[in-house]
Amino acid sequence: MIAGLLTATVQFGALFAVMTVALNLQYARAGMINFGTVAYFAAGAYAYAIFTQDPPSGLDQYALGLGLSPFAGFIAAGIAAIVFALLTGWPTLRLRGEYLALTTFAFAEVLHSLLLNERSIGNGSVGLTNVERPADLMQGLGDNAQYALMATLLLIATVLLSRRLLTSPYGRLVDAVRDDEVAAEAVGRDVRRVRLEVFVLSALPIGFAGALYAMITTLVSPAMFTSEVTFFVWIALALGGERTILGAIVGTFALVFFQEVVRIVPFETVRGAQLAASLEEVVTGILFILVLRLRPWDRLKWRTAA
Amino acid sequence: MTLFLQYVVTGVATGAFLLLATLGFSLTRRVEGFLNIAHANLLGVSAFTTWGLNVPGGWPIVPAALAGILVTAVAGLIIGRIVYDPIRSYGPAILLITSVGVSYVLGGLMHAVIGTGIRTLDIPLASSIRFWGLRITDYQLLVICLAALTSIGLALFMSRTSTGLAIRAMSANPELAASRGIDVRRTSRATWLLSSGLAGLAGVMLAVIATLSTDIAFHQILQIIAVAILAGLGSLYAVIAAGLIVGIAMDVSVFWIPAGYRPLIAFAVVILVLLLKPNGLAGEKRT
Repeated sequence: MIAGLLTATVQFGALFAVMTVALNLQYARAGMINFGTVAYFAAGAYAYAIFTQDPPSGLDQYALGLGLSPFAGFIAAGIAAIVFALLTGWPTLRLRGEYLALTTFAFAEVLHSLLLNERSIGNGSVGLTNVERPADLMQGLGDNAQYALMATLLLIATVLLSRRLLTSPYGRLVDAVRDDEVAAEAVGRDVRRVRLEVFVLSALPIGFAGALYAMITTLVSPAMFTSEVTFFVWIALALGGERTILGAIVGTFALVFFQEVVRIVPFETVRGAQLAASLEEVVTGILFILVLRLRPWDRLKWRTAA
Repeated sequence: MTLFLQYVVTGVATGAFLLLATLGFSLTRRVEGFLNIAHANLLGVSAFTTWGLNVPGGWPIVPAALAGILVTAVAGLIIGRIVYDPIRSYGPAILLITSVGVSYVLGGLMHAVIGTGIRTLDIPLASSIRFWGLRITDYQLLVICLAALTSIGLALFMSRTSTGLAIRAMSANPELAASRGIDVRRTSRATWLLSSGLAGLAGVMLAVIATLSTDIAFHQILQIIAVAILAGLGSLYAVIAAGLIVGIAMDVSVFWIPAGYRPLIAFAVVILVLLLKPNGLAGEKRT
């Protein structure tokens, strides 16, 4: 049981930490509040499923199942996230603070609504089932351990990308754009371009994480990609303290561990399980409020752009 | 043509409800200075308090509704004092994100107490009134009348009472208001009571016109935000106009596109308005 708990924590912890680290890049470094994280995640997951799914038959209502290899699906997931980031990022980058947050949130809801209503994309509310999994990459390793390993590798790659980007001169440009846009523009930097680049680059790992999530659950459906995912990542980021990559990762693992522990408690009745889920929501919310209020980390300096 | 006009009539009722739901949200935004995501959950608190007293409690609907509104107003005041007051200086972004946490807590509590499933109030079925080949239910008419009365009452309150004037002064310039001897804390408390009470009224109306489930309240938040943004987070009259525009747009859209996309119209409004006016319709300056 303990081993299962740990594997699940690593599996989902690493997966969601990819998103937290990417969000950290957008928010703490570039100063952009993105409340639509789930959209890039969903774009990746759906792209993976559509590329690897067999062509529709029988009662299937989706139009396209390409039946390609998981590898092609994985690449497609990254591209889908980038395309969606370009589509949503380009028009919204003039916006600041809470207005950017609202627009990205609205875009995510638009995508959610499309996936729900346009059955030809992903079978509507039923979703795509039996999503293809890559064959055993590592002999002798269990399925869950294998995905835990893959998620960890993706997390490491994301961290390296993020660090590489930000310790370079480019990182100082990103900081400059955040801290004083006018000054950055005055010395001839294209502020909008930098913001768009950060936006798109941080969407890429989120798309890959989406593909991995589809492999783990073998299902993609609109109900899996609600704004709750976005808020989950935000809570994890706040919990870990922003601006440090390690903080973002630790925060995510702590939150996932907490959820997995709740999940492991056996419940005799449906009502009991439901009660536990509700209380988990309450505790998560209280945690969120307290962390933001007490700010136990020195570095937790929230940007207050209106 | 009649069908089209029928959608417009339904849209006016939707707009009247949205207006009620947005008034308190807009007030909080102006006086407290942040977008309170948990405002939609307050609608739920009111709706389910009313339902709890009315159906399992056996109270008649009017006292149950009044109690629901009162409970919500007090709950909003308490949350405002405990959660938001101490972090007011942290800025609008952190207040906004904190309100997401509050929304989780309220939503979770509601799930825990009420559970899943669909519920309705113990009130007579709506009967419809027919005119010129169109029809409107008496409950829709009630929402429209209440929205009109509330708007007038709020306008009078804001312009005729000292508390209302203090709220307006604080929303215009908190520092100046404080330096001119306005009790900022008292005014802030009055605002929380008022805006949460308005959420309470909207919640009761939600319970009257719709069947209730615990997540229905949260689904209102994007429409509330859409109305508030379209109104430019500005004056009462702008909120009235925006509420009607979004409400009618949502219902009339069903004329051309599948009904499943009805909520999308609200998101489209948010996106369009912000793309055209990046700082909201009122064109506020960045702070």
